[in-house]
Amino acid sequence: MGKAIVITSGKGGVGKTTSSANIGIALAMMGKRVCLIDLDIGLRNLDVVLGLDNRVMYDIVDVADGRAKLVQALVKDKRFDDLLYLLPAAQNTDKNAVNQEQVKDIVDELKPDFDYVFIDCPAGIEQGFINAVSGADGAIVVTTPEISAVRDADRVIGLLEQHPLKESPNLIINRIRTSLMQDDSYMDIDEITTHLGINLLGVILDDDKVISTSNIGKSIVMDPDNPTAQGYRNVARRLEGETVPLMNINNSVKKEGFWNKLTHLFSHKK
Amino acid sequence: MQSAVLKGTQSGYEVILNESSSLEQINIDLKNLLNRLSESNLKKSEDIKLNIRIGNRLFSQEQKNTIMENINSYHGLSVGHFMSNVLTKEDAEAKFKQKYIEPMSKTIRNGQEVNIDGDVLFFGNVHEGGKLFASGNIYNMGNIKGIVQAGYPDNEDKLIIGNLHNAQQVRVGEQYDIVSDNPINNKESTVVYVNDLHLLSYGKINELKEINPKFFNRIGGII
Ligand SMILES: Nc1ncnc2c1ncn2[C@@H]1O[C@H](COP(=O)(O)OP(=O)(O)OP(=O)(O)O)[C@@H](O)[C@H]1O
Ligand SMILES: [Mg+2]
Repeated sequence: MGKAIVITSGKGGVGKTTSSANIGIALAMMGKRVCLIDLDIGLRNLDVVLGLDNRVMYDIVDVADGRAKLVQALVKDKRFDDLLYLLPAAQNTDKNAVNQEQVKDIVDELKPDFDYVFIDCPAGIEQGFINAVSGADGAIVVTTPEISAVRDADRVIGLLEQHPLKESPNLIINRIRTSLMQDDSYMDIDEITTHLGINLLGVILDDDKVISTSNIGKSIVMDPDNPTAQGYRNVARRLEGETVPLMNINNSVKKEGFWNKLTHLFSHKK
Repeated sequence: MQSAVLKGTQSGYEVILNESSSLEQINIDLKNLLNRLSESNLKKSEDIKLNIRIGNRLFSQEQKNTIMENINSYHGLSVGHFMSNVLTKEDAEAKFKQKYIEPMSKTIRNGQEVNIDGDVLFFGNVHEGGKLFASGNIYNMGNIKGIVQAGYPDNEDKLIIGNLHNAQQVRVGEQYDIVSDNPINNKESTVVYVNDLHLLSYGKINELKEINPKFFNRIGGII
C-alpha cells in the first residue's frame, strides 16, 4: 500500500507543481511507482511541466463524475517504463467541481497500485486545499525564503495541525539564493526551519534552468550534475528513509559562480 | 423535628433550615417560628436581619424568594444572606480560576486564535498573525511575534508582563498599540497596563507597586 502526500504552500507560485513533478520523477528514477494528481482544477499545468499535455484524454472531474474510469484517465509518462503516471486536472471547470469524498475515493483507489501518490494542491486555503488534503497521509509544505511565503506556510501548517494527517508535515524551502540572505525581506534556512517548527525535508536552489527545462516538458531533476536537481533527488531519498545530509548551499552556489565567471572570462576573450 | 430553628450568634440571628425538609414544610414552620418571635420581647422599632443557613443544598432564586417574602411580611424582619455549605460546579470553577494561572506551551500560528479564561503563563510562540487573548493577565516567558491581549475583551485592570518587543500588537482591554509605531525598545521584561487616563502605558517590573497597587498587594508585595 502506497502513501499519499499532498504538496501544498498557501502562497501561490512558490514551486508546488515544480516540486511535485521533480520529486515524482526522482522517485520513479529510483524504481518507485508514482502517481501525480493535479488538483489545481481550472489551471492545470502539471501536465505541461511533465510534457504530457497533448496526451490528456480525461481528467479528474471526468473520473469523479463517472464519465471515465480511473485507469482511462491516468496518463503514462513513457520515459519511465511503467513507473510514473499523471491524473490531470480539468481545465474548463472550477475547484468546486469535485468534493472531498470524491478526491479521497480516488486517492484510496490509487494507493494500492503505487508506492507514492502526490497531490499537487492549488494555492490558497479554500475548497481546493481542503480537497487536496482530504485523502492525504502526509504533507509537504513548500515555501520560498520570502517572508510572505513563510507566513502563508505558517498558516497552512496551523491548519494541518488542527486536522492532523497520519504523518506530521514536512518542509521544503525552494528558490534559495545566497545573495538574498542579506536582504531583510528574506529569511535564512535556519530561521525558517526553527520558526515553522516542522521537519526540513530539503532545500532547493533557485535556478533558471528549472524554468527553461519545464517550458520544454523536461525536468531539471534528470540532469545528473545540477545542484538543484541534486536537491530534488535528496528529497526523494529522504522520503525513502535514507539519511542524506543537507546540501552545503554556499559551496554549490560558489561553484556555480566560479564557473559562470570562467565562462564570462572566455567569452570576453573571444 | 422543626425544619426551621432560630439561633442567636455573635453577629446576630440565624435561621437554620433542615436540609432534608421540603420547602412547604419550611415555610409553615418558619411562619410558626416568626409568629412566636414577633410576639416575644423583640422591640418593634428594632430592624432585624436574619441570615439563613441552608446546609448542604442549594435553593433557586424562586425558592429563596418564597422564604424572603415569608420573612419580609413580618414588620422589622428581613433576610441577610443565604448561607450554603455547597457551591455549584460553575461557581467552584470560577473561584478556582480566580487563583489559577494557566501554564501554556503552544505555538499559535498565523491565523490561529487562542482564548484563555483567566491568567496565562505563556512559554510558547505566537507567530506573526497569531493571537493570544486572555480575560486575565498574560505573563510571557515565550516568544511573542503576533498579537496579545490581556483583559479580553474589555477589562482594563489587567496586565501583560514579559518580553514583548517582537509583538505586532499589544492590547489591554480595549486599548491597543501597534508595536512598530511605538517600539518597545526595552529588551527586558515590560509591564503593559492601562493608566488612569485610559492610555496604554509601559513600565518595568520594579514599578509594579505604582502601576497597579491592588495587583501588587494581592501577589504579596508590601505597599
Ligand atoms: N527552484 C526554482 N528555481 C527557479 N525557478 C523556479 C524554482 N521553482 C519553481 N520555479 C518557477 O516558479 C514558477 C512557479 O512555480 P510552480 O508553478 O511550481 O509554483 P506553484 O506553487 O505550483 O504555483 P501555483 O500556486 O500557481 O500552482 C514557475 O515558473 C517555476 O518554473
Ligand atoms: Mg501549481
